[in-house]
Amino acid sequence: MGLKTLLKSGILLDLYFFKNNRSASISRLIWPYLTLGLIMGMGILFGNTQSFRQNVQAPVNPLTYFVASTLAAMVSLDVMWGVGGSVLFHRWIGTLPYILLSPNRTSITLVLTYVPRYLLSAGIQLAEFTPLILMVEGVTGGTVKLCIIALALTIGMLPLLGFSALFASFLLSIKEETNVLGWLNPLILLFSGAFYPAYLLPRWARLISIVLPSTYTIELARLSAIIGSPVSRRITLLIGVLAAMSVIYNSASGLVIQIGERKAMKEGAI
Amino acid sequence: MSVKAFVRAKAVLWLHTIRLWRFRWSFLNWILSDAAWIFLFVLGALLFVPREQLSMAVKGAFWTIVAWSVISNFSSLIGSWMNFFISIGMVEEHLVRGFSPFKALLGRLITGSSITIASLLFMAMLVGGAFHVDLLSADRTWLLVLGLGLLAVEGISYGFTVAAISMRTSVPNNLLEILNLGIIGLLMVPVQAIPRSARLAYLCIPYVAPLHLMKVATSSALPMLLEKAVLISALEATAMFFVALFVMRFVEVWIKRNGVKAIGFW
Repeated sequence: MGLKTLLKSGILLDLYFFKNNRSASISRLIWPYLTLGLIMGMGILFGNTQSFRQNVQAPVNPLTYFVASTLAAMVSLDVMWGVGGSVLFHRWIGTLPYILLSPNRTSITLVLTYVPRYLLSAGIQLAEFTPLILMVEGVTGGTVKLCIIALALTIGMLPLLGFSALFASFLLSIKEETNVLGWLNPLILLFSGAFYPAYLLPRWARLISIVLPSTYTIELARLSAIIGSPVSRRITLLIGVLAAMSVIYNSASGLVIQIGERKAMKEGAI
Repeated sequence: MSVKAFVRAKAVLWLHTIRLWRFRWSFLNWILSDAAWIFLFVLGALLFVPREQLSMAVKGAFWTIVAWSVISNFSSLIGSWMNFFISIGMVEEHLVRGFSPFKALLGRLITGSSITIASLLFMAMLVGGAFHVDLLSADRTWLLVLGLGLLAVEGISYGFTVAAISMRTSVPNNLLEILNLGIIGLLMVPVQAIPRSARLAYLCIPYVAPLHLMKVATSSALPMLLEKAVLISALEATAMFFVALFVMRFVEVWIKRNGVKAIGFW
């Protein structure tokens, strides 16, 4: 089974998922707006945008800030579930042994079958927020900001794939049916500064946020919220950090997932 | 209570308590994820609040989210469990033995309440610790208990109504979650922010009045329309309780004639 076949099967799986699970597809479309509405609604009811700028310590547009945050948080979550959580899903439905026994390496199968879904769902979510961003920021400014968000979502995916594959390996090696990702994912988002900037977190939490790739994806996406032109030096720096993290996490996951796979096959934890 | 009824009640309690113990990791997982998600949203919303108003806002946001947690936990933990109960064929088993499946479902209150209470305490510790606010302190404890109790009755009745509906037709789980999240939007609005003429109508929306009582009790809302809110909450809770009871009886009669549709949540 070649890599092209894996990619093709990923694309077909997603297309049929959207076609056959209409209510799930609708809820996928509504969910980002609900998240945005919940935070913005609560924020405006309990406070005001001036205090927001003071607290964030930056001249940002709150709406663009939370659109970028919501998008980056949603796609980060999607990657973590799509790659990391898929092991658990395959275990539940009984397809995990087939994936482990297939000629391709498990990490390759998990990542390649997931990439089309990521691109599709990130694209759909970005398209959903496009009219809102263009309305708030104007056509020219909005287009630039959308490009920054798209860049963050694309570059940010690379280290996240490796990072999530590490979780996949962890889930492979433990004989546990409980979905530990259920509580790990929101904690990761919390430490990544998903809705509350990481630099405002306590020192010990900032130390954790430094090693999480989602911190930089979210930060890069959020540069789009700065009023005026975003600083290109900061963008380049964040791209550099994400690229370095891609190398580190993907190399580590390649090694670790093999160990997890061997352990699972040896102990029958599948 | 006859001996037979006592034995059956004991069996239901035993079933759900032992399940709670066997699924203790899932239980812990649920609490942690509930609290983490809520903390994430609260932190985002509190970025808008001026520092001098933070303690009042934290309390308001916390109790709003606790209310949502009660509604959402009861609808998903009671309502969606029916899916499992139908799929393992237990509805018919109970019916042929002359025991209502809804009575077996009553035991889910143990699971629902345990998760809700544990999440509430954990969240209070987490959010309170982060903002140095004592979230569980109340100026009028009786009002807080009353509000929370009436809200729980409304949430449980809603959960049972949904569970009963799922025996006759399918209930899209995703849309139910969206509906629950939509409710939080309504719950967030403070009564004082509504035009004077529409305040009473606003309180009549399910869950709004008991939450208003909770907010007043914890000094996170102005004490207006208090007596009316108590009356509306009590009437609504009673009405929702009887609607749930009626729907359950109606559905039970219907499935005895036509059989379970076995769709449940999806």
